[in-house]
Amino acid sequence: MKQEELNNRLAEIRDKLIGIEQKPNRRIFLLCECENSYAVNKFLFEGLGLRFVIVTGIDSEDCFEILYHYANDETGCFVSIKAFIRDREHPEIESITPMLPAGEWIEREIHDILGIGFRNHPNMRRLILSDDWPEGVYPLRKEVKK
Amino acid sequence: MKALKKSVWVFHVNTGACNNCDIEIVNLLTPRFDVERLGIRLVGSPRHADALLVTGVGTRQAAKRLQEVYRQTAKPCVVFCMGACAGGTGIFEGAYHVAGPVDRIIKEVDPNAIIAYVPGCPPKPEAMISGVVKALAAI
Repeated sequence: MKQEELNNRLAEIRDKLIGIEQKPNRRIFLLCECENSYAVNKFLFEGLGLRFVIVTGIDSEDCFEILYHYANDETGCFVSIKAFIRDREHPEIESITPMLPAGEWIEREIHDILGIGFRNHPNMRRLILSDDWPEGVYPLRKEVKK
Repeated sequence: MKALKKSVWVFHVNTGACNNCDIEIVNLLTPRFDVERLGIRLVGSPRHADALLVTGVGTRQAAKRLQEVYRQTAKPCVVFCMGACAGGTGIFEGAYHVAGPVDRIIKEVDPNAIIAYVPGCPPKPEAMISGVVKALAAI
């Protein structure tokens, strides 16, 4: 879809977001809280028909951020959803795998590496850490040294 | 040791590499570099091999498997550590998943192992051939 049409359609879920940022080089960030992330994902994937690319996890000092990246192939625009997880003790977010089977492995990898729980994930198992890696040690969290 | 002078049969082990060194090893068998004219052949089992070509930094998951492959290789054998990662962790120094460079993993099983290093990221196929020739001449 064309760029103006995309901008107009994004205003439809404005009530679920806490902000929209337009960065140069055709990047749009939709900021939301983790409770609304599934609804925003559903709107981008099923409502607008954007192509799902990947999921990223960031460990900020006071919260976790999960970014879902979608591509609009007609204009080359990337739309990313930034979901904030405020609870650092037991971070949890709704899994998008029931809607998008492609998200299964990347959510398993984020769970292994950052320790974020995904609710309703059909197959949460160890993916990339070795079999003898101790439970509960998440290598890419900021406080883990080795 | 005379068994290692001519016609060395190799077995390739990847212990967590990015696959660049693996591509260069497979390049050696293509008609451009053609190591088969020297008698070097890629075999499917370590029990048939005279030399092990190891690529990749030794990850935690692969360390035990590499030791098992080394035990199964027919002795006398030479271990070639291809690339910067196998030679000494390369750019993955201090990463969370590294169980030590390949020579430390092999020396746990056999302190008298014959290990040769071919540096490069990835090493050029000419460098690999030259490294193999020099190592076999020195034995």
